[in-house]
Amino acid sequence: MDIRLLRPSDIPHVQQANITNLPENYFFKYYMYHALSWPQLSYVAVDVSRPKKTPYDPPKVVGYVLAKMEEEPADGVQHGHITSLSVMRTHRRLGLAEKLMRQSQRAMFETYGAHYVSLHVRMSNTAALHLYRDTLGFKVDKIEPKYYADGEDAYSMKMDLSYFREEAESSEDDAEAVDEGDEVGSAGKKGEGEAKKGKGKKRKVKVGRGLGVGELVERNESVKP
Amino acid sequence: MPQQLSSKEQSLFRQVIKYYESKQYKKGLKAAEQILRKNPNHGDTQAMKSLIQNSQGQTDEAFALAKLALKNDMKSHVCWHVYGLLWRSVKNFEEAIKAYKFALKIESDSIQIQRDLALLQIQMRDFQGYIQSRKTMLQQRPQIRQNWTALAVAYHLAGELQEAEKILTTYEDTLKQTPPKSDIEHSEAVLYKNTIIAETGEFQRALDHLEAITKNNLDRTAVMEMRADYLLRLDKKEEAAQAYRDLLARNNEYRAYYDGLEKSLGLDKSDKGSRQKLNELYDSYAQQGERIDAARRIPLDFLDGDDFRKAADRYLRRMLTKGVPSTFPNIKALYSNSEKKQVIQDLVEGYASETVVNGSAEKQSDGETSKNFHPSVYYFLAQHYDYHMSRNLVKALEYIDKAIESDPSAVYYNMTKARIWKHYGNLQRAAETMNHARTLDERDRYMNTKCAKYQLRNDENDKAINTMSKFTRNETVGGALGDLHDMQCIWYLTEDGESYFRQRKLGLALKRFRALYDIFETWHEDQFDFHSFSLRKGQIRAYIDMVRWEDELRDHPFYTRAALSAIQVYLLLHDKPEIAHASLANGVPDMDGMDANERKKALKKAKKDQEKKEAEAKEVEKKNAAKKGGTGADGEPKKEDPDPTGSKLVETKEPLEEATKFLTPLLEMSPKNIEGQNIGFEVYLRRKKYLLALKCLLAASSLDSENPSLHEQATRFRMTLSSLSEPLPEPISSIIEKNFTLLPKSTDLVAHNEAFLSRHKNSPRHIHAYLKVRQQLEPTSQSENEKQMQALLKLENIELEEAIEGLLLLDAWSSGAEVKKAYVDTARERWREASLFPAAII
Repeated sequence: MDIRLLRPSDIPHVQQANITNLPENYFFKYYMYHALSWPQLSYVAVDVSRPKKTPYDPPKVVGYVLAKMEEEPADGVQHGHITSLSVMRTHRRLGLAEKLMRQSQRAMFETYGAHYVSLHVRMSNTAALHLYRDTLGFKVDKIEPKYYADGEDAYSMKMDLSYFREEAESSEDDAEAVDEGDEVGSAGKKGEGEAKKGKGKKRKVKVGRGLGVGELVERNESVKP
Repeated sequence: MPQQLSSKEQSLFRQVIKYYESKQYKKGLKAAEQILRKNPNHGDTQAMKSLIQNSQGQTDEAFALAKLALKNDMKSHVCWHVYGLLWRSVKNFEEAIKAYKFALKIESDSIQIQRDLALLQIQMRDFQGYIQSRKTMLQQRPQIRQNWTALAVAYHLAGELQEAEKILTTYEDTLKQTPPKSDIEHSEAVLYKNTIIAETGEFQRALDHLEAITKNNLDRTAVMEMRADYLLRLDKKEEAAQAYRDLLARNNEYRAYYDGLEKSLGLDKSDKGSRQKLNELYDSYAQQGERIDAARRIPLDFLDGDDFRKAADRYLRRMLTKGVPSTFPNIKALYSNSEKKQVIQDLVEGYASETVVNGSAEKQSDGETSKNFHPSVYYFLAQHYDYHMSRNLVKALEYIDKAIESDPSAVYYNMTKARIWKHYGNLQRAAETMNHARTLDERDRYMNTKCAKYQLRNDENDKAINTMSKFTRNETVGGALGDLHDMQCIWYLTEDGESYFRQRKLGLALKRFRALYDIFETWHEDQFDFHSFSLRKGQIRAYIDMVRWEDELRDHPFYTRAALSAIQVYLLLHDKPEIAHASLANGVPDMDGMDANERKKALKKAKKDQEKKEAEAKEVEKKNAAKKGGTGADGEPKKEDPDPTGSKLVETKEPLEEATKFLTPLLEMSPKNIEGQNIGFEVYLRRKKYLLALKCLLAASSLDSENPSLHEQATRFRMTLSSLSEPLPEPISSIIEKNFTLLPKSTDLVAHNEAFLSRHKNSPRHIHAYLKVRQQLEPTSQSENEKQMQALLKLENIELEEAIEGLLLLDAWSSGAEVKKAYVDTARERWREASLFPAAII
């Protein structure tokens, strides 16, 4: 299975994977909204080895992570949010969820200076809870009562992304030692710069109702992913 | 002339606009009517009122009023603008563009109208028009970066790369200082410019530009990928290799990176000399972590002989010991190589006969994993023998039962067992088994999905929707099915429609296929908002990618599948119009066995039943609507569906025109899909569009000159041409003769058909085509054809599906009941479990 960035052409199959696996579903346009607002953040796991029946067969999507940046963070801290994550039951235990999340999280940090990433999970979904908490290192931040449409409560979970900063800094040291050029070096510096600037500062680029796709966001809130 | 209002009414008019914009329609209407009482012919007010009416769903009234408004005030840009907005709302973009242009002639500086026009132009891909609009908008507000970027986008999409780049550079030159690093709009804009440079093919310049902007760029993955790509194209192999290694350090599960690295190192999977080095390369990556799959799996693609056996053994043991359930799906692509398929079968069969201790030889200390090994092996083998390239259903069932024995509540095992029953053709048992698997994990929607799908395959539509309703939002208008429509659940609508088609409930089938058609319309229209949104967001590369993809949206197999089925329904309606009535309520009664009188009666009854049912359904619907106030998932008021069973659809007077609606995008977007060409021929032949029919034949021939449908269709085409009641006019007839070289006029069709048979003696579908042709050429050969059809059932490689197609063919020839019975009896001997032979036909 390949892990790679989600492209607009993947959306039909991502939407299909979502409605196959999860009770929280979205319009096509809501996926577009993610892919066109934060095109660096959403990833797919695709089966590239499947033989094609026609030249038009897109690769089969077996897992995806749909992610965004919080538009107007209540705490004023830049952070990402996982809108939806799922892996087909037939393709579990390959570590795909973790690999998808890791790519998405790095992009949140690198491109948008995210300090942490948040998500919601059904309290009854022990498998997902295990993945987020034990495998990925999320922590339960609080409980959101009646978060889901059917009345179930959600754990609101968070994960700190500062480990990317440390990673970037240490790879900067490596870079100096083996001289890999300034690409890797600037990653570390960029991280620091973002950390100082990003704190408590709202992004210049806003989206939402005023910008024409308001209904999408509205839909999201009413459905509660 | 623009009509003047008193100052009090002017302020009222401004309020109307405000109410409209804030969607307070009732207040808006009230205010508009207040103005109209004193100024009954005030065009602008009438226009605004019509706009509000339109938003409330009164489209016809709105158009009438808007026209009246225009009559009263032809020189008002408001009236024209509104008229354009109305056309836009009913998706007639051409008319909308015309109206906007009139409005702009009157009010040339209106930014709002110019903007609305530009959006429609790009939606319609009127690139030259869009360039003009964008130029005007840039002149109006040159201080805004978006306007520069937008003009560049216009040039770029029009293919004028130099102009696009120039516009972006011109703007960059006006920047007094470099924007801060956190400016994502800038970061994206320069990267966008870089992709334009690369599209010109000047990779050295693209590389130089990229290196100049790398340091400040926020999209590191993109920058690294683009750099590696340019380096490789420029043959700077050493640097390219390092670039791909850097990418792999970030993501070691992406084959494109490994491929890039291979090429940079001058290695080639198809070259035996490279394999040793490749193997070492992948091994070095595999060593980097336990969890890396790609580096372990990829070598199985290129290794062969003993090397393959060793590598496969290592890979399979590792996965099966861990109990990874996706081992088989991950490996089955190798089966296109029959040697590898055999090696894998031998290896895993070998594991099955090992004792438990040997089985986990590599990990004996780990008691937990060794327990997984044998069930995993059985599970693998069950999937292996269930797979169409290595099918042996008896063995598959044996192994899955062994696996289930080890853990009766394992969802995977029970799911695979259902699948095996499906391949046996026992859909009833398959659906029951899948339902059992579902109950083992009721909270998992994946299992719920599978179960509903199997129920649909078994034509249990009511059960299926009931299953689905455990996870849908059932308070939506239309209940669970309404929610599945709202959420654009393609797979369900497709399977449901195909099931109704099998049952000859054509109205419901068409209903689903039309819903799918509409979903693609929606998906196409969904891009509209992003023409402005993406400019504000500044994510231009993603936007360009989306626009280009939308242009080919309907080449998606989701569309193709729905279109093929829908067209088949319409063809059937054309060929047997009486089916339309018969299929209304209860599927198709056995019309062939009735005399004309009985037939009439049956039709009448069916129609009556249907009307009664519909009346009841409407009553229920009404009650529900009254209860809930009827809003859809998007909170917008939802119109009641006046034809929930599709009885109007099925009564169409123009089935071929309806079919063409589905066909046109199919042929345009997926010309290389041979089934599309096959069915295109059928539609065009019936419409007597002989040139287009020929075009389909030629396209099919260039894809597969031995395609069975093509053989039959080409012969039929020749026969049609030679039996036309009046000859085709020139130049059509000579164009056809000049191009229809597949079967020149002089061809001996019988000999041609026999030659075809001799080339395909062992292929059931080719023989079907041969028999179909012979039946047409020599109708007296029917009993001989029936015999041969029956004999086909003894062919070693015939599949169940092909056997069913044979039965349908017998039915099409109106073969006698005893012939069909004999056929089915023979088939049942071979497929004892199969429940698939349509009862209606037998």
